[in-house]
Amino acid sequence: MAPLIHVRDLTRDYRLIKKREGVAGGFVDLLRPRYRDLRAVDSVCFDIEAGEMVGYIGANGAGKSTTIKMLTGILTPTSGKVSVGGLVPWRDRLQYTRHIGVVFGQRTQLWWDLAVIESFRLLRKIYEVPENIYAEQMKVFDDLLGVGEFLHQPVRKLSLGQRMRCDLAAALLHRPRILFLDEPTIGLDVVAKESVRGFLREIRDLQGVTVILTTHDLGDIEQLCRRVIIIDKGEVHFDGELEDLRTRLGRRVRLTVDLREAVTADDLRKVTADLPVTWRDREGKNHVAEFRRAEVSGAEVIRQVVNDCQVSDLHLAEVDIEEIVRDIYRAAGKEKA
Amino acid sequence: MSENLLVGRKPRRGVTAFIWQLGIYGTYFAQFVKSRLAYRMDFVIDTLAVSFSIVIQMAVLTTLFSKVRSLDGWSFPEVLFIYGFSLVPLGLFNLISVNLYGFSEKYIIQGKLDRVLLRPVGTLTQVLCESFSVSGINEILLGIGVMIYAGRELGLPLGIQQVLGLAVLAPSAALVYSGVFLAITSVTFWFEDRMGLAPPVYNLIRFSRYPITIYSLPVRLFLTFALPFAWVAFYPATWFLGSPGFARVALLTPLVGIVVFSGAVLIWKRGIKRYSSTGS
Repeated sequence: MAPLIHVRDLTRDYRLIKKREGVAGGFVDLLRPRYRDLRAVDSVCFDIEAGEMVGYIGANGAGKSTTIKMLTGILTPTSGKVSVGGLVPWRDRLQYTRHIGVVFGQRTQLWWDLAVIESFRLLRKIYEVPENIYAEQMKVFDDLLGVGEFLHQPVRKLSLGQRMRCDLAAALLHRPRILFLDEPTIGLDVVAKESVRGFLREIRDLQGVTVILTTHDLGDIEQLCRRVIIIDKGEVHFDGELEDLRTRLGRRVRLTVDLREAVTADDLRKVTADLPVTWRDREGKNHVAEFRRAEVSGAEVIRQVVNDCQVSDLHLAEVDIEEIVRDIYRAAGKEKA
Repeated sequence: MSENLLVGRKPRRGVTAFIWQLGIYGTYFAQFVKSRLAYRMDFVIDTLAVSFSIVIQMAVLTTLFSKVRSLDGWSFPEVLFIYGFSLVPLGLFNLISVNLYGFSEKYIIQGKLDRVLLRPVGTLTQVLCESFSVSGINEILLGIGVMIYAGRELGLPLGIQQVLGLAVLAPSAALVYSGVFLAITSVTFWFEDRMGLAPPVYNLIRFSRYPITIYSLPVRLFLTFALPFAWVAFYPATWFLGSPGFARVALLTPLVGIVVFSGAVLIWKRGIKRYSSTGS
């Protein structure tokens, strides 16, 4: 069976005007602009199966939004292929939009002055949602998101969390097959984030919607996505299971030590000289070491430190995904240099 | 299970698409009226403001005609009638097209156009639907009032034929307005329109409210063929006045309206294509 979303060699260049300096330069730019091509997305390939929930992550300017714009049909690529269930997003845009829902965390899709319910009615008309499906969807949204509370308030009076819940509901009203989320939890507090994540899990289980989300918040990824695609400088650097990402980078562990007396990092390096441990350059009573579980056990490292030093406190923690991603970027940077 | 999204509704074409879009317009408009009812004071203030500006323009005409008996053979009530007529298509145009103003700022720079592209309704329909101007309603009503007053002064008949004439000519003239401003707006897809071409052109509308025979030949030709503002008031209004020669020309107004507007829609569509291929 062919995958639902099929992306091959997707490439997008932006043509930027190289600005000359000064007022005179501005005039010259107007008459004879000099261009510079910037490759925002470079030969991106991936397949996504129906029902998957994929995290598409990368730093600012990595090419995430450009990819999403092409996948949603807003932007035509410079070259490459995208096929979603047999449709080409930018070519078959009007037809394609009926099958997708899109949420931009930073911008609402709703009408600012209208009551929430009126926005939904308008969308129902635009997407020609049958009455029974509309009623079912509204019930689901009320049960899972509690939108019933503020249905009659104008969108501009909603809190950010309420607005995001409404935006999610609005994007799913026509029961799309695919949901694109661009930074769905940006600016939300912990409770609201939890509510959004919980809803996304439920709606996937309930309606089998395929979800592609971009985010800066790796909490979203850890809680929602089994699969991640990491993009940097327009290229895919990792595409696989989140668990693989962790093991590939060898489950790093960080040990924080509080000592009774101030020492230098070099003193500690001597203590663990025979172990594959990296100490951060620090002086004083607080020190940090990192090592890989695969190479040495936590117990081994702790035993050596406790034996040779006056330890007052210890803390052992797994390095979070955010740092792992940062490492991937750094490695990619070195490769290129 | 098949993963083919092609199964499902085929896009509408031709007349069905048009009727469906009209329905969408209606829904949007109903929503707009609802949201406006929340600000009743706004409507009152707007009515006062529009009435005030119309009173001033009429005062200008009155002053002008206290000095001269006729304007190149056109009497005061005739000029007043043309002015009254001009308000009706202007009102229709203002009612639906406020969003063309500041389109570049609101839709391109702020990125609202992306959202428009994500919906299964034509881009132009959505942009025109997303905001209506109440002033338009006031202009239509006051314009009809002025026409009735001036028409009575002139002893013009007022019957079903005149009502039908207005029902055809006013929307046609509104298409001319809309076409001109839509074309100007579409230019922002190619050039960042920082200077704003629309306001100066909007000011030129004033010229269209007088009988064009008072202008020199180049200006007449310009207003008829280049920037066709002669078709938004003068030519169609002469149909009611029964002015010799012009009253027949007036019947071309629907054709001019359709041509101008269709041309503008083509430019708009190319603009949308350019937007999605440049991403800016």
